[in-house]
Amino acid sequence: MTFDNLIELDRIPVEIVSKVKESVINTIGSMIGAEVEYVDETNGDGPLNGIIGNITVFNSEHTLSLMLAIPKEAAIHFSKVFIGMELPFESDDMGDLIGEISNILAGDVAANVEKVGFRGQSSLPTATRGSDLTLFMPNKPPTEKMKFTSDNIEFWLTMVLSESK
Amino acid sequence: MGKIKALVIDDSKIMRSAVKRTLNQLMLADFEYVDAKDGEDALNKFNDEIDIMFVDWNMPNMTGVEFAKAVRDKGYEKIPIIMVTAEKSMGKVDKALTEGGANEYITKPFTADKMHKAISEYFDEEGNIASEDDEEEKSFFKSILNS
Repeated sequence: MTFDNLIELDRIPVEIVSKVKESVINTIGSMIGAEVEYVDETNGDGPLNGIIGNITVFNSEHTLSLMLAIPKEAAIHFSKVFIGMELPFESDDMGDLIGEISNILAGDVAANVEKVGFRGQSSLPTATRGSDLTLFMPNKPPTEKMKFTSDNIEFWLTMVLSESK
Repeated sequence: MGKIKALVIDDSKIMRSAVKRTLNQLMLADFEYVDAKDGEDALNKFNDEIDIMFVDWNMPNMTGVEFAKAVRDKGYEKIPIIMVTAEKSMGKVDKALTEGGANEYITKPFTADKMHKAISEYFDEEGNIASEDDEEEKSFFKSILNS
């Protein structure tokens, strides 16, 4: 696969989407010790009351941004299964946890998308907590939003491909 | 069981806790921990009393590989350096082991079993760090048993 004209595309190449989806299912599933399923549903979700973990996989030409949107209940569930205790949603540790989950996911994504020709490294993660959170994409870059479920929780991953500047 | 001083380096407090909790579960040794939040912090806390190090890769100020290389450059060639990181590509693994001089590479998320497989060889039955002499002795006895 060549990525020379990637920015001229109006959609993220299906090979990259597929590899990222695979990484979410395997990595989050392994972290929480339960099966994670992709849900083919793009409508029905409103503003988020929870945490968004942000991280990128980038090279000198392209940046693949990953935004992991985790509702409050799911974030608390993740803390129980990942570190063995329920973290207060408002704590700094909760932000640390979601940042680390994003970091682990990005490490897997970087290794996985390399297999289809996108070689990059991951950035440091950040996390944003709040209510009524809505993601906006200025200039409408190629974007893909995916929904996942596991153990009665749901979460979303939005990925954006843009030019590195 | 010996007292082992382990330097745990990760910019995530949660991950430092996860590493320590997993090591305690394994009961390979009686660990005493020193925390560091990045490579620079770890270099300040590193001293001759440290027996083993668990090092994240992707950290601000100084990466895990840069830290590991700095430790090796100081002449500490035998202290076990275990990279515990989210970086999974084979190129990164090679870089950690060759450029950084790490002994082992564990990818996150890790289980107690995965951690045990990676590090148990560095501990003897009394919970001390196994020296190269111990390894040579073990190899010698293994060769006798297998002959």
